[in-house]
Amino acid sequence: MYITASSTISFQPTFRNKGFSDEISELNDESEILHPDYTDFIPKMKRRRMTDVLKMGITCAMDCLKQIDLEQPDSIIVGTSMGCNIFTKRFLDKINSSKGGLLSPTSFIVSTHNTIAGQISLLLSNHNYNMTHTQNSLSFEQALMDGMLCILEGGENILVGSSDENERELYNMVTRLNNKTLLSTYGASFFILSKEKKEKDNIKLVEAESFGLVEDRPKILTQFLNSNKTSVNDIDLVLYSNSVPETVNELIDIFPSKKLYDFQKITGTYLTNSGFAMNYGVDILTKGNHPSFEKNINRVLIYNNLIPENLGLILIEKNSD
Amino acid sequence: MKIFVTRIGVVSAIGLNVEENLASLISRQTGIKKSSQHNLMLGEVKLSDQSIIEKYNLPQKDYSRTTLLGLLAAKEAWGKNEINSTIKTGFISATSAGGMDKMEKYYTQFSQNENNSGTHPSLVFDNGGTTEVIAKELGLSGYIGTISTACSSGANAIMHGARLISAGKLDRVLVGGSDPIVQYNRKGFSSLNIYDEELCKPFDDSRKGLNLGEGGGFLLLENEESISKTGNTPLCILSGWNNSTDAFHQTASSANGKGATLSMQRALEKAKISHDKISYINAHGTGTSNNDLSESTAIQNVFGEKIPPFSSTKGFTGHTLAAAGAIEAVFSVQAILSNAILPSLNFSTAMSETGFIPETTFRIDANLEHVLSNSFGFGGNCTSLIFSKIQ
Repeated sequence: MYITASSTISFQPTFRNKGFSDEISELNDESEILHPDYTDFIPKMKRRRMTDVLKMGITCAMDCLKQIDLEQPDSIIVGTSMGCNIFTKRFLDKINSSKGGLLSPTSFIVSTHNTIAGQISLLLSNHNYNMTHTQNSLSFEQALMDGMLCILEGGENILVGSSDENERELYNMVTRLNNKTLLSTYGASFFILSKEKKEKDNIKLVEAESFGLVEDRPKILTQFLNSNKTSVNDIDLVLYSNSVPETVNELIDIFPSKKLYDFQKITGTYLTNSGFAMNYGVDILTKGNHPSFEKNINRVLIYNNLIPENLGLILIEKNSD
Repeated sequence: MKIFVTRIGVVSAIGLNVEENLASLISRQTGIKKSSQHNLMLGEVKLSDQSIIEKYNLPQKDYSRTTLLGLLAAKEAWGKNEINSTIKTGFISATSAGGMDKMEKYYTQFSQNENNSGTHPSLVFDNGGTTEVIAKELGLSGYIGTISTACSSGANAIMHGARLISAGKLDRVLVGGSDPIVQYNRKGFSSLNIYDEELCKPFDDSRKGLNLGEGGGFLLLENEESISKTGNTPLCILSGWNNSTDAFHQTASSANGKGATLSMQRALEKAKISHDKISYINAHGTGTSNNDLSESTAIQNVFGEKIPPFSSTKGFTGHTLAAAGAIEAVFSVQAILSNAILPSLNFSTAMSETGFIPETTFRIDANLEHVLSNSFGFGGNCTSLIFSKIQ
């Protein structure tokens, strides 16, 4: 199956900017989210009441549909670690300040994790499969796996993505990490998975898997590559995330270090940043080259090990048909 | 490929295990009571967090009640099953609240003290974290997932497990969900003016709203290969499933019941059975004016003139949100095993719009072959599951 559209809102000039992988640089403490002009994507009245997680997610979703001129996806699948956290806190604040008085339900009704996917269906009047996966750092991978299932089940075009909002000062605790060097960011990334390719250079999604509560990561990686008939040499670039040094030590034992790149340098850290990493991989593969990496990149592995015991693996490759 | 249900586990206001829940359904005994503390009708599980921790000898940690209720049901459903490297096993849980009970506690502490270095509210809120604790306790690893689509979450977790087995990703998967009663939802549903101050009356003309409940439900799904290794006895087949979207409003269901109509029709297509083969519908039936009318219209759309026996068991358990689809799936399996149509409680007058009369007694029906279970949630999320007797 193919990735026929992709869209990311992030701290980098990724949105509606094909070929962005050459232009972006490593983030620093001064980096800020680059919000696009949302007016083209979400009606004003609706937008006014939306928090970032909704605006970013919906906009990336709509952008993907525009890219391939698709009216209705066969499924809408979202991965989000914390969902509509800001609305949740807003309603908690209201409860705490109301002292038993009447409450407005406004923030309550949009605080469920599936509000992002639900709002996309509402804007599109889409009556199809609509799902939300919330497995902290593996939420995106599980959404992607679900999208792959939808294609296997006969779907033609599946909208899959992830969105998470600002948790800046909180991420260390949220992710059970204690790594002060990580830069907390947020963002959204959406894709369309299609059974058939739309353009000659569409990238293939070979496989996505999520593994929870793992102990032996190298063993899982080896099994993953074997089951996809891929050798270590076939992988031209490994985009990885981590919060403990063991992750990198294990990868260096398997891959030459020049093939390894810590994608958090460009995505920053949030629980669904592997969505951005996949788009980065897609962008590099589409061009086939990147000045910082080996020449002729044909196959990219996204190795998400942000939470040490959770491992997400995504394999994408250049279409050789 | 057939997906077998081989074990079930449930905890709700009407019992701490499968047996107790069935006994309450037979004797038409509700678990909903007026809580003097909250001055609300609530379907509370009669077991404190501390008792659950002691029961399983868990570490004295500040576990969310979502985890603890889920653990009770998951342990019952998992039983004496063992980890086996040749059986690809997964765990999928559903929750809408995540660790909301603990978030409420720490959020207040945190917001009152900027320098609080203790537990951060978002850490305990993490849905996936509540699932991981259960998985760890059962010794499971691999595909560990959480689904959160509000009140249809539990049914979606079951459906997702079935799809992962169908696709060959898993051989065996423990699926279900749990949610506790939390202040957040008590206040939230009250603010929507859909909370009945008396016992909820699903499908009654005078229904005023829902009562919140809490609990957990889990089912063990296996393919044939897994059963050949585990030796588990199949209870029934999960034969049909579908999730469709109403796309009408964030919280309200459409008058024409579009989403629910689609989910039922498509689940029937998946099960490859015609609508007249459905022996019993375990409806979503929350007792709100909007849901019960929309669901009735959808049932009419799918079944036409001949409506199968139907009921809502929410008068027993209250609306257990993300757990509802899982608890009611367990009840649907019990209906098949006991050849029984389950009762609705508190019904007296048919809705003027449809004249539908739900079943009000625990009625043995020898021909109970296919049970349809509906679960609908915010975001217009509609899921239907079909459980079938093993021929």
